[in-house]
Amino acid sequence: MSDAVTPKPAVTPYVNKRPVSQRIVDHLKREWQIYLMLAPTVIWLLLFLYKPMYGLQIAFKDYSIFRGVAASPWIGFEHFETLFASEQFLRALKNTIYISMMSLIIGFPVPILLALMFNEILNQTFKKTAQTIVYLPHFISSVIIAGIVITAFSPSAGIVNTILSWLDVDPIYFLTKPEWFRPIFIGTTIWQEAGFQSIVFIAAISGVSPTLYESAVVDGASRWQMMWKITVPSIMPTIIIMLIIRIGNMLEVSFEMIILLYQPATYETADVVNTFIYRQGLQSGQYDFAAAAGLFNAVIAFVLVMTANSISKRYSRTSLW
Amino acid sequence: MANMKLYSRNDRIFVIVNMVLIGIFTISTLYPFIYIASLSFSSGFEARAGNVILTPIETTLEAYKYILSERMFWVSYGNTFIYTIGGTIMSLLFLIPGAYALSRPQIYGRRFWNLLVAFTMWFNAGLIPFFLNMRDLGLLDSYFGIIIGFAVNGFNLILLRNFFEGVPSSFEEAARMDGANDFQVLVKVYMPLAKPAIATVALFCIVSRWNGFFWAMVLLQDEDKIPLQVFLRHTIVTLSDDQQFTATLVNASYSVETVSAAIIVCSIVPVLIIYPFIQKYFEKGILLGGVKE
Amino acid sequence: MSGVKLESIVKAYGAVQVVHGIDLEVKEKEFVVLVGPSGCGKSTTLRMVAGLEEISDGTLTIDGKVVNRIAPKDRDVAMVFQNYALYPHLDVAENIAFGLRIRKESKENIEKAIKDVAGILGLENYLERRPADLSGGQRQRVAMGRAIVRRPKVFLFDEPLSNLDAKLRTQMRAEIKRLHQRLGVTSIYVTHDQVEAMTLADRIVVMNDGRIEQVGSPMELFLNPVNAFVAGFLGAPPMNQIQAVISGGDAAPIAEFAGQQFTLPPLPGLQNAVGRKVIVGIRPEYATPQTKAVEGSVSCTLELVETLGSEALLHTTIGGEPFVIRTETLGNMDQLNAVNGFTADPALVKVFDAETGVALSGQLRVA
Ligand SMILES: Nc1ncnc2c1ncn2[C@@H]1O[C@H](COP(=O)(O)OP(=O)(O)OP(=O)(O)O)[C@@H](O)[C@H]1O
Ligand SMILES: [Mg+2]
Repeated sequence: MSDAVTPKPAVTPYVNKRPVSQRIVDHLKREWQIYLMLAPTVIWLLLFLYKPMYGLQIAFKDYSIFRGVAASPWIGFEHFETLFASEQFLRALKNTIYISMMSLIIGFPVPILLALMFNEILNQTFKKTAQTIVYLPHFISSVIIAGIVITAFSPSAGIVNTILSWLDVDPIYFLTKPEWFRPIFIGTTIWQEAGFQSIVFIAAISGVSPTLYESAVVDGASRWQMMWKITVPSIMPTIIIMLIIRIGNMLEVSFEMIILLYQPATYETADVVNTFIYRQGLQSGQYDFAAAAGLFNAVIAFVLVMTANSISKRYSRTSLW
Repeated sequence: MANMKLYSRNDRIFVIVNMVLIGIFTISTLYPFIYIASLSFSSGFEARAGNVILTPIETTLEAYKYILSERMFWVSYGNTFIYTIGGTIMSLLFLIPGAYALSRPQIYGRRFWNLLVAFTMWFNAGLIPFFLNMRDLGLLDSYFGIIIGFAVNGFNLILLRNFFEGVPSSFEEAARMDGANDFQVLVKVYMPLAKPAIATVALFCIVSRWNGFFWAMVLLQDEDKIPLQVFLRHTIVTLSDDQQFTATLVNASYSVETVSAAIIVCSIVPVLIIYPFIQKYFEKGILLGGVKE
Repeated sequence: MSGVKLESIVKAYGAVQVVHGIDLEVKEKEFVVLVGPSGCGKSTTLRMVAGLEEISDGTLTIDGKVVNRIAPKDRDVAMVFQNYALYPHLDVAENIAFGLRIRKESKENIEKAIKDVAGILGLENYLERRPADLSGGQRQRVAMGRAIVRRPKVFLFDEPLSNLDAKLRTQMRAEIKRLHQRLGVTSIYVTHDQVEAMTLADRIVVMNDGRIEQVGSPMELFLNPVNAFVAGFLGAPPMNQIQAVISGGDAAPIAEFAGQQFTLPPLPGLQNAVGRKVIVGIRPEYATPQTKAVEGSVSCTLELVETLGSEALLHTTIGGEPFVIRTETLGNMDQLNAVNGFTADPALVKVFDAETGVALSGQLRVA
């Protein structure tokens, strides 16, 4: 075919001659139903999630229930000063960091190991059954899990103390001992979530091309070698993304579980920022002070999440949302 | 990988060790449930003495009889159904049209609306402002408050939106040519197409509603409105410290432990019933909404 | 008068204009085919007619009524999509009835309409099946059924056959033609298969880069392309185009290329044209292969012979440029490999300006 076709006039950018207001009216006439569908969700978000953000200003106010958010007087950073002078808050902060770090360090590798191990199971029935069982605790409420823990660790009737008694160890009232709180809590959350968290890695593993394994077999690799030389490197991007997400959400210690498991005797090691807020705000009614602690927590969490998101974007060109 | 032959002795050892380890992990997951079930069928005396290990001892239904005759059990159980069904329906009423609208390329300010959703996943005002807001809205201590207050959730919204975005636009166009308006396109074409995604979201809603306790505990004062989980917490956490209650049980054929265990069993059973459906969908759902290009 | 009229239709996405003012009138019952290379704006134009894309500028009239701002459902047009867009959750009957149900037709009417359409398209035995359980051709038929059941004023087709294999495509092509003859509905059909265009169209619209190059009946476009683009677009294999320079006089202009000469007829466009750069267009069908030099023959080098059965394509080169000759095989087979030149009837040769591509040669009568 010839390249000598009719020469085209230079392309000039198109300028729409209809006035903007007219175009908006046209658009709404055409698409109003879509906006009608969007409206309830947007209103809900504004009413239930954005309005509380506006309410966060009480962190800088001397909030009084009777005056309401807007009319309460500003007091600047007073609550924050009190906060950082408060032993209890600093303890809660320390506990939050400690518990989330430990959960990350101990809890993060477990689902990966589980996924790798599931991948090595040859019997499909066994594999499916085992997976079904280990995913289950994720879907059980924390109240029940806490109930199970309380029952199992109870000094008189609990199975743990029963076993200890076989070893001639005196019964331990685990849930009143500060030194036992963190191991029990971290162990429980791992027990509850590790199976479920392994799904992402199992999916990543199933995406690894079988030809890689086939050629490794031809080269005489053992299964152990294949696991470390093929599977693990192949799912490394997923591992890194999940790690970044985990770090981003680190402050989200499952405080509901802590509320269920802790008691004044264990506050020393168990009290985290959110449980502190819960007690100060919802139980003692110091709303403004507790809101200041919450704001502090939320800002740090926000920075962590945004950092994690931008790192993962750069790392994998995948955004998390 | 599964049907690969085992070539060497080392491989066989590796596979067996692996299987044993997975087996141990699986049993350790399953065991607590068995333990609780056995407790619930054992006599109070044996339970308190710590003799129940694997199977019920002195099998009895006394704990269940006690629970089932407790008015609060039935009230809270019924409330949980109300919150679960009402909450799930409410969520879907918001989420389906909202996610569909967010997925339409033609809406103005699409980036802005999506950011409005995403931001709520990054930044959370926290417990206190949320609580005060609920109070200001007059939603404390009400069924409606619990049902509406947690209707929308960014993760579910985005999961559904992503699914709708994946449906080829020619379906919408064909339906439009056939004379459908946007609501008809959604209800008659997109919703049937999105059944797996909607089922996934519905199951997530059901599970979280069934299990939710924290906000119910905070927002509800009226005993007659509390859900099962709050009642359960009350029984397990509070009563086991309550010497008086324990004292009344001394001569009974049930104990705090067996009663707690029985409530736990009653609360888990519905989850177990829908668990096969959950399992069918959640793997898909996780992948659908988790990490998106 | 259910014709469609496009006047200076413009489509822009933001500041980027992709359709640059199209004028086209489709008459009632006419079957018009839009062809053109990928990305030239065929689908966009069709979708503007359907109402699926907003019209940036210009006027669109259907059945004498300006419909620029009228919703698709109120334009009374139906469309067949490339991927069919059959609703997977509905069976065939429900797919066909979908539009009628939305329009709240009575039950009896719907029943009857389904039956009629199924009869016309031979779908009686598949009415209860889901689209997933149908073959490609059957799905195609259902898609058409969905369009015709509403008896719209205008049918729009966007590459409806491109997902089918070659054999089915030929078959469905004929079926579409029959359907059009039977129902006589104004149709606009987009394709980039020029065989479909030639066989189906009353008139073909050749588009390029958001503009119309030429509109006319298939034979008109085949014989008298207004420019080199249209010439190269229609016909398979496409017209050979040789870069040449005019010499000789006005009475007997000669095209010189690759050291050879070819005598052209004394066309009006070639007056005072000595030294002008042109493109000489010779359709493969209008070149007669020669095995030895004869009066007026052009020599070429044979590279490859493709035998297609009744015909053969001779791939040759002239001065390194490809030149294809199409010839009968019957009785010639043994000579095909000896071809070293060709002759062509000057009356069938087209000449285009090398710079603008505009045709300089006279009109051939369609007869
Ligand atoms: N939503 C859009 N935004 C920006 N440009 C677009 C959009 N849709 C189409 N275009 C551009 O408009 C031009 C015409 O597209 P169109 O789909 O009409 O081509 P076509 O002739 O149908 O091609 P094909 O034969 O490949 O289907 C293309 O260059 C395309 O890139
Ligand atoms: Mg197209």
